[in-house]
Amino acid sequence: MIRVLVIDDEAHVRRLYDDLLTREGFEVISMACPHKALDIIRTQTPDIIVLDIELEGDSGLKMIEKYKAECPDLPIILNSAYSTYMSDFKTWMAEAYIVKSSDIQPLVEKIRELTGQRRKYEQNRK
Amino acid sequence: MSNLYAPLSSLDRLNLGNEPLHDSSFGIFVTDESGLLQYLNEEAARILGFKNANDALEYSLHDFEMNTNCGLSDVFDNIIAGENFKKTEHRCTNRLGHYAVLNISLGPFRDDGGGISGVMGTIWDVTESYQRKVKLEEADYVMSVISQVSEALASAAELNDVLRIILTGVTANQGLGFNRAFLLLINEEENILEGKIAIGPNNSEEAHEIWSNLAGQHRTLLELLDDYRETEKNSGFSTSSRIEDWKIDLNKPNYIAEVFESGSGIIVNDGVETSSESSKIFDYLQTESLAIVPIISKGRKLGIIAADNKITGKKITQTRLDLLQIFANNSAVAIEHSRLYDKVLERAKELEEINCQLANSQEQIIRAEKMSVIGELTSSIAHELRNPLMVIGGFANLMISSGDAGDNAEYLNIILSETQRSESVLHQVLDFSRASRTSSREIKFNALVKEAYDYFQTKTKFRQKGIYLNLSEESAKVWGNPDQLLHVLLQFIHLTAEGMTDECKAKITTHGACNKVECKKVRLTIEFTGSQQARDNAKKIYDKIFGSSEGTQRMSLIVAGETIKYHGGNYGVENPTNEGPILFIELPAMRVSEDD
Repeated sequence: MIRVLVIDDEAHVRRLYDDLLTREGFEVISMACPHKALDIIRTQTPDIIVLDIELEGDSGLKMIEKYKAECPDLPIILNSAYSTYMSDFKTWMAEAYIVKSSDIQPLVEKIRELTGQRRKYEQNRK
Repeated sequence: MSNLYAPLSSLDRLNLGNEPLHDSSFGIFVTDESGLLQYLNEEAARILGFKNANDALEYSLHDFEMNTNCGLSDVFDNIIAGENFKKTEHRCTNRLGHYAVLNISLGPFRDDGGGISGVMGTIWDVTESYQRKVKLEEADYVMSVISQVSEALASAAELNDVLRIILTGVTANQGLGFNRAFLLLINEEENILEGKIAIGPNNSEEAHEIWSNLAGQHRTLLELLDDYRETEKNSGFSTSSRIEDWKIDLNKPNYIAEVFESGSGIIVNDGVETSSESSKIFDYLQTESLAIVPIISKGRKLGIIAADNKITGKKITQTRLDLLQIFANNSAVAIEHSRLYDKVLERAKELEEINCQLANSQEQIIRAEKMSVIGELTSSIAHELRNPLMVIGGFANLMISSGDAGDNAEYLNIILSETQRSESVLHQVLDFSRASRTSSREIKFNALVKEAYDYFQTKTKFRQKGIYLNLSEESAKVWGNPDQLLHVLLQFIHLTAEGMTDECKAKITTHGACNKVECKKVRLTIEFTGSQQARDNAKKIYDKIFGSSEGTQRMSLIVAGETIKYHGGNYGVENPTNEGPILFIELPAMRVSEDD
């Protein structure tokens, strides 16, 4: 089962993603603190991260670098209420950028696409 | 003539031959009853044109009348009849043809019995004093003309008014009295003299009309000059209408160039010189004789005044030329002053414009600061709203897709659809507020339009639409927030493309502002060039967009429109007859510096 790490400081968003993504067949780990997420990456090896940008206390853009340093092949989807961050070069380190919307399908499809690619890549490496 | 009456009966008793009388500074003569000279002193002999007195004694006063117009013969009979005659400043020529001005006194010469035996006269040669007097009168006249012209010039500052006053002085009968006058000023860059103003009739019909009009008014020169603007209608249409086309090339030899270069006035007559350029001048003026004087101020050659008597044919004398030169010299200072005045006005206008731009810039800065604050606020509000909307819509979506909605499915669908609409509006607001945070700067308008156009070209959906770009050659610049303006352009192009049908084509054109005061706006138009049906369809699209309050398109337009207004611009749709609608956006153009 694909393990998705959702990092968002809003509880209702996390709850929504928990329910929706679970229903879509993913295993969801959600949390508000981007720093604690580093431990999860080390210990629970998620397949993909869904990361909000404007987080309480820190910016998701700053955290991408740390996550990539910890696990370079781990795909990250930036998920923000702002579409304008797309032009910020710091977002280019992430594999995808999905603007938050009540229509979750684009996010679901992107998770499947990126995790599928990663699995193929890892299989090829083996 | 009692002072000449002598109670003595003979010349001897008069003692006319005494030395003081004989050599006196006035002429004295005595005739018999027939007019034959009996006595004259040396001065009288000289005045009448003899080497000495003896040579004249065999002549009669009547003999002189053939060659002179002294008038002595005419009055002789009256004197013999006992009358006296006196005339001052009588202009005549003597028997040798020499010009003289005389004071003449004649009276009867009586014998011992008191009977009249002849005529006795004194003649004073006052030629020199008369000439001095005439010169003084002339100088007084010139001074009077110049004084009146100067007084009129004092109330005029603009160059055209000054030039008109000058030529009015040259042509007025109360002034220098020329029929026509022309004023040309130097264009130093091209080394040519350019016609600026002309006054006077070009033919006898015009002359009759103008002069009879002026004659009926009985105005002094000053009154005439005070109404110099009125002289425009007395200028002579055919003379003044072509003057601005008259250009004299100073590199080619001709009379006018010669006067300008030498700094000395001349009178020239047609046919004297064969230079083709000079012939052209006479052809142009259709005159036979012309006075030309330079206008020089502090050694700087400003132009020339040319004047003629085409209508009356009156000969132009050296005296008139000298007067014209004096007049031109005095006018030169006024012309110089008025040119300076015009420059000051021009600079003042520039300063006014710069001040206006400065005020606009200050206003824009204040507005930009306000917008920046509003942008920040809008951004945070929109962000705060977007997450709850997503949660609401997301859960509604979840309930619908889970099949648990039951009777509430319809309501949940409404919640979902309204949420998605709200999200779309927020998308616009967030984009705009993000743009508000970038600062204003100089923007090359064409480059900005190209960027927006290129953006659409990357989208397959729009690339297939027949939208063409036509950029102006001028590199006009606008001052503003590039992100906001790009957003505006994207919105307008998007709205246009969305509404286009397959057979419709659209042309985006930029109309650059030049570096002139009157070119104050940069303009972008989007016009439709397809079939009539396509154009009608386009009109419907715009009517719908601008006229309705439908959904997100309307929201986009409000945001885009406010951005244009914020930048001091304007937008709208024009509907020219027999053409498709034209969407236009106008923005204030920045002045292009010389470096650009």
